[in-house]
Amino acid sequence: MLKSAHPLPKLALCLAWIVASLIVFRLSFQIALFAAATLLLLFDARIPLPRLLFLMVPFALFGFGFFTTSVLFRAESGFAVQMAQEQSGATDVAPGLVLFFRVMACGMTSAVFALTTDPGQFVRALMQYLRLPTSMVFALMQAMHMVPDLRAEMLQLRMARAIRLGRPLRRFPNPGEALSLAIPLLAYAIRRATRAALSFEARGLQPGRARTNLPQPSIRRTDWALFFFGFGVLIATSTIILMPAG
Amino acid sequence: MTETPALPVPDALSYDRVTLRHDGAISDAVGPVSFAVERGERVLLLGASGAGKSTLLHAATGLFPRAIPGTRTGELLLDGCPVDSRAPADWADTCGHLFQDAALTLAGFTVRDEIAFAPENQAVGSDRIPGIVADSMIRAGIPQIWANRRITTLSGGERQMVALAALLAQGAPVTLADEPAASIAPMVARRMADLLLAPGSTTIVVEHKPGPILDRIDRCVALGQGGRVIAEGAPRDMLRNHGVALAQAGIALPLATRLYLAAPDLIDPHMTLQDALARFPSAQARRLRDAVLPTPILTGEILATLEGADCAPPFGPVVLRDVSLSLRAGEVLAILGPNGAGKSTLAACLSGLIPPRAGRRTGVPGAVAFQNPEAHFNQGSVRAEIEGLGHASERVAQILDLWGLEQVAEQHPFTLSQGQKRRLSLALLAETDRWPVLILDEPTAGLDGAAEAALGQRIRALAHEGHGIAVITHDMDFAVSVADRALLLNRGAVQFDGACPELMRDTALLAGAGLLPPESALILNWLETAC
Repeated sequence: MLKSAHPLPKLALCLAWIVASLIVFRLSFQIALFAAATLLLLFDARIPLPRLLFLMVPFALFGFGFFTTSVLFRAESGFAVQMAQEQSGATDVAPGLVLFFRVMACGMTSAVFALTTDPGQFVRALMQYLRLPTSMVFALMQAMHMVPDLRAEMLQLRMARAIRLGRPLRRFPNPGEALSLAIPLLAYAIRRATRAALSFEARGLQPGRARTNLPQPSIRRTDWALFFFGFGVLIATSTIILMPAG
Repeated sequence: MTETPALPVPDALSYDRVTLRHDGAISDAVGPVSFAVERGERVLLLGASGAGKSTLLHAATGLFPRAIPGTRTGELLLDGCPVDSRAPADWADTCGHLFQDAALTLAGFTVRDEIAFAPENQAVGSDRIPGIVADSMIRAGIPQIWANRRITTLSGGERQMVALAALLAQGAPVTLADEPAASIAPMVARRMADLLLAPGSTTIVVEHKPGPILDRIDRCVALGQGGRVIAEGAPRDMLRNHGVALAQAGIALPLATRLYLAAPDLIDPHMTLQDALARFPSAQARRLRDAVLPTPILTGEILATLEGADCAPPFGPVVLRDVSLSLRAGEVLAILGPNGAGKSTLAACLSGLIPPRAGRRTGVPGAVAFQNPEAHFNQGSVRAEIEGLGHASERVAQILDLWGLEQVAEQHPFTLSQGQKRRLSLALLAETDRWPVLILDEPTAGLDGAAEAALGQRIRALAHEGHGIAVITHDMDFAVSVADRALLLNRGAVQFDGACPELMRDTALLAGAGLLPPESALILNWLETAC
């Protein structure tokens, strides 16, 4: 369902959920959002569980920083305590725990968008509906092309260095090696971008020039229905959670 | 009633005393050059590396000097109008440009996006674009189910075909193609030539290897060093009359011309190669053999062996299964196969850089000379690179001299020509005892005839010194000229391992892997029957 949805209403919905996560300082809300996003990725987007767990690692590491500061060192962020007090009058759990789940919820919500959206279709939708400049659109697409090519270039550079040093290729570069690869890779990226710019110009791309677009899927009723359903669920959940007890 | 005289049709493209100079250069890259391309004419632009062929094409639509900094003098007309009268992007409706590395300059995210790019830029009606895309895919032989494939999932050859389909969708009446077949499998290269050089098309094509396309060309223009025209005319006449001058200018000659120059007393230049071979005396077979095949070298001990090896790139899936082969001292092995067959992965396994996922590798360490020679450079000058091998200064001077690098010894390696870069990368690996096994990945890419011939000689010399050498290439004639043995990879396995001439005569096996026999296949067949 999510994979076939139009990227723009989906983006708006994901942004709305992320903003809500930043505003509503309740553990139950953050856990609900995190669980909903994870279930959508598991059962709708059919992302395998091991990959999903792997994806959570950077978010968890980031969130763990808040958690340890709060629980182990009892050093709450002044802003977090203020938010908690404004919304419920008291801090029922350690604000660090709320912050941890907020990071997880925001991370998984953004993963819902990233893993269910075709990047090319998204960029084209931005150009078509939100007037993103054409030169920026094709620069973005070129950057997407460049990532795998940079990886291949990096592998070749690492193999050349391994040959020079007379040792087999390490699985991962050590920090010193990674640092020394930065300049050759940057030079490669610049050369490649220059050639691409020449090619684009030769094929008629010119800033400010009128151009048409390959017909793209339009925003359908089902996309709007999905947006309003998701937004309704967000309002309802927030209201229930923020409603004073009794 | 009097008839109105027909207005003369302007040339599609005309250069009149044009000179081109890059910013910061002390001499002109091209010119002065004067020649014109008529409508419906297919022109082959020949020249050694650095002769200014690509710059001349860049100037045709004004990319040089508007986007590439430099200066131009003389008059350049495209479709009868001064090229400066419009911006380079505006000329896209008149002139399509297939760049040297078209596969690396694709704009779209998917195949459909890519092909639609030029019609979108020309503001073609949105409703017409899907039809143009579909039609271009059919003409280029691209399956319609590829329309939604991401560009990043395509192999190099597939990307090149998509670039061609995008050029067809552009619908420009004049085409400029800069080495369109470099580093792609011969079958794909032939399909590309069929489309770019169809009768009636107006095309200027740059190719280092003119042999396979010569029959589709109406006129050749050869540039010498300094970017001046040294010969011009119908292909056969020009090669027959100026063969020696072209060879001296570093231009690769077709096999028939090379044979005529090697045995002018036995080959009539006015005959086809088949007819010439039919009259060639069997007693002189050795001269033909020496012209196309390498001098045999006595092989020595086994240097490296793969036994039942499954080869995979780092973090990638297994691309070759159950590979067993060995490489001996003094042997030159050609590794052949279609784009994406796993040739480079096999090279990494055979050299010992990447351990096989299953099976085992034994033997001495090996080194790979990568397709991009810049990967091997990490010093500020050519001399510093060679000094990094740890030799005394006299030996450094000898190495620079041996590899033809003494003139550029103080230059930064990145500023060298492609041929010089290739020689330097090979010298860094060959002029030390550390790597008895050397593997060269597409060593002829971007090299002109003279540089390729010199490279072939160096490879044989290294084998003679006791190195075991493997050469990954799509250039079947180069493989025949340097390799004793050939390995054919296809569909994840080794399909052939044996004498190189034997594989080159097996048309069916080659066709199954998307490869074409070399130009010299006729001679190999003749030698087989004559000897």
